[in-house]
Amino acid sequence: MKNFIKRLTSKNGWVLFVWLAALAAVWEIGATVIGATVRNHPEYILPHLWQIAASVVQPVSDTQTIFGLVMVNAWATLSRALVGFLIGMAAGFVLALLMSLSRAVEKIAFPYLMLIQMIPILGMAPIVLSLTGDIGVSRIVIAAILTFYPVATNMLAGFRSVSREKHELMYSYAANTFVKYVKMMLPSALPYMFTGLKIAAPMAVTASILVDTLQGGVGLGCLLSQSLKHNTSIYAFWEIVFISAALGILSAKLIGLIESLTVGGRLSALSGRLIRSAGKEKRYEKQAEKTEA
Amino acid sequence: MKSRQKKPKLSERPMFETVTSVLYPLLFGAVIFVLWETELLHRMIGTTESILPTPSHIADIIANNPSKLFGNLMMTMLPTLIGLALGSLLGYGVAVLAAMFGRWGAGGLTIVSCFNAIPIVALAPVFNNLIKTVTSDITIRGLTAKVLVIIVMCMSSMSINAYRGLTQLQPFGEDLMATYGADRKTVFLMLRLPNSLPYIFTALKVSLPLSVISSLVSEYFIDTVEGSQSRPGLGRMIRSNILNAQYATAWAYITFACALGVALYIVLMLISKRVLKNRGK
Repeated sequence: MKNFIKRLTSKNGWVLFVWLAALAAVWEIGATVIGATVRNHPEYILPHLWQIAASVVQPVSDTQTIFGLVMVNAWATLSRALVGFLIGMAAGFVLALLMSLSRAVEKIAFPYLMLIQMIPILGMAPIVLSLTGDIGVSRIVIAAILTFYPVATNMLAGFRSVSREKHELMYSYAANTFVKYVKMMLPSALPYMFTGLKIAAPMAVTASILVDTLQGGVGLGCLLSQSLKHNTSIYAFWEIVFISAALGILSAKLIGLIESLTVGGRLSALSGRLIRSAGKEKRYEKQAEKTEA
Repeated sequence: MKSRQKKPKLSERPMFETVTSVLYPLLFGAVIFVLWETELLHRMIGTTESILPTPSHIADIIANNPSKLFGNLMMTMLPTLIGLALGSLLGYGVAVLAAMFGRWGAGGLTIVSCFNAIPIVALAPVFNNLIKTVTSDITIRGLTAKVLVIIVMCMSSMSINAYRGLTQLQPFGEDLMATYGADRKTVFLMLRLPNSLPYIFTALKVSLPLSVISSLVSEYFIDTVEGSQSRPGLGRMIRSNILNAQYATAWAYITFACALGVALYIVLMLISKRVLKNRGK
């Protein structure tokens, strides 16, 4: 996010702006062509951008605008995606930890972790819905599974990335497993975890929207299918296209922001405060990291 | 302490290590399989045999209706592979252009990378509606819509990774080329292209599962003809069979979808091993 803003305000900002303008121009040309050739409701196929922008303030009922309706549904979708995301994150974290602690667990789980990433989980959304019987639960389950494996595999890679010298250093300090994990393994694995989370966040949003489409109720996906079936204004659909794209992009950026706030120095300082007894280690560790880099 | 006691023990018995790394997951799988087949699993997660049929039941269904299953498999696999190929080529093209044009290219790459975050669910209906204006053949329409969605989804991961491969060169590689007096084309063919090969496979490993998923999910939104002869694809069949409460049939399609994902991934791994191995020689 920081990076993004910096890029926008820097010299390269206008490069990005020109690209966006070009993209909008292509869209508008397409919309004009469609508008000229399609007689019956061209806005179902490709409306002008300004039509979509204008629809933001268009009322859908006495009390609500289309945009308001989209926002209410977006919140319903997002909040469920978030719950699944957090559960998946916790599960992935615990499994990676267990796998790094025990060779047996690693051996059992690793092939299945590989397998799960080749399996199209999203395509199985309908069966998850019938298995759980509840749309809210299945939304959470699918978002959790999709978050779970990138976090688990990336964290495991993080645990494995700790160099042999660091392990030996810890051994020479006679550090027990807890200290070793808090001071060495977790800080090294956290950047990897954020890599996994950045992959998972847009997927959790997608999953949540997809599960919405399977059943009525509230949620972006639900509104999307209603809009496609012409039960509400078609502009609700177009707004959802933009909102969901923005949500997907922003969710990844948000994780990046959280990463720069936490892993960027503060977390290792916190762990240093947790265990003061082995205070000097950190300095050595940092030195080792510097020489490595 | 533990690691020290463990290490000599494990190095003493390397056979133990290899045997257990195969045996443990197999045993785990066997336990799940037995629990599933004996319906103990159903009691554990609180479901019934009709929703979660036993493996033998699913195998029965597959054996009884192979032509329809394979027909739908083809309708999912074909657009997946075409879309993956076109999207990756396009992504590579974008990366080459981006590497050529410096700042402007990098800006374009930022835009393309944002495409990746657009949910498939939002893309699929857009393309499906768009295709409606071009052709009226419902099968071609469905296939094209799927291919377009997959192209967009695959493009960004390929362009980002390939850009890295084209620009992050070995130190002094460019200098060496300069001393040879090589022109840009030669630098590209002899240095940048080979350097980007492993990055291409990194991208494919991400975009292959993604394109299978995109294919399955876009099927939810495409138009199809009703009737027993229609072959909309695995994803649509999973969904429609579940809506009709034909859970066992749906599971047969799920099995095929999973097999497709796993098989394509394994093929990719084999190809990547082959290509990257020959590269060193």
